[in-house]
Amino acid sequence: MTSGPGPGAGSGPDPERRPAAGGPVEDMEELDPGLARERTELAWRRTAISYAALGAALLKASPPAGALVLAASALIWGTGRLAGGPQRAGERAPRRAGGRAARRAGGRAPRRAGGRAALETNQRRLLLITVAVTAVALGALALALLARHSTLPLR
Amino acid sequence: MADEGREPDARFTFANERTFLAWNRTALALVVAGLAIVQLLPPFAGVPWGRRIIAIPLILLGAAVSVASYLELQRNQRALRRGDPLPRSVLPAILAGAIAVLGLLAVALVLTSLALR
Repeated sequence: MTSGPGPGAGSGPDPERRPAAGGPVEDMEELDPGLARERTELAWRRTAISYAALGAALLKASPPAGALVLAASALIWGTGRLAGGPQRAGERAPRRAGGRAARRAGGRAPRRAGGRAALETNQRRLLLITVAVTAVALGALALALLARHSTLPLR
Repeated sequence: MADEGREPDARFTFANERTFLAWNRTALALVVAGLAIVQLLPPFAGVPWGRRIIAIPLILLGAAVSVASYLELQRNQRALRRGDPLPRSVLPAILAGAIAVLGLLAVALVLTSLALR
């Protein structure tokens, strides 16, 4: 559950989890913060694949609806690529464990120009996912309420 | 939101985004499950609305989870920017409760259907 002391704004990793100079690294993100970006890109891809699977299943029963969901999956895939694109505000360059940069104030996040625009663009990208899921839910609800017989010949 | 506080470490923003995406995949799975129940399950004998009684709440729950996850993403991001403790999420409790209730409802429907057969 998400409670307890929140991560400080602009602060780096927890000093207790930070490796000593030359010591073993517990979290790979300590070595390369870019892994967080990669994991996020993969999460976007999983989401796009979920949509593609639903679209492919729907294609059989209702080609227009299936094509629409498949188009949404392509859009989500592209959005995910954009999400992993340019450096995000507060993102640090990879550093070596035990290096001088690692010891410097716990890797304080740098400020980045144009952060507000990037944040708003990202919020819109995420809103797109919510809108897409809600649209699919409304379509499914209409089908569940209105369809008298099974319309998906999947069996 | 961009005016509040400071830009947090990007790793926290990425983690927040991944959590949001995971909730939306869950929402999509709930919607698909509801749709599959209506379309693929054979009707319950003696309970003509049986499939819809399970499917419609699942679909509505999926839509609600998707919208709630977006609101939660924004709430968490605001807390990160301000350096506040992260707010407690109600989504896991809602999801667990709803699935438990729907599971019991499904059992009741199956038993009723068997009794009426």
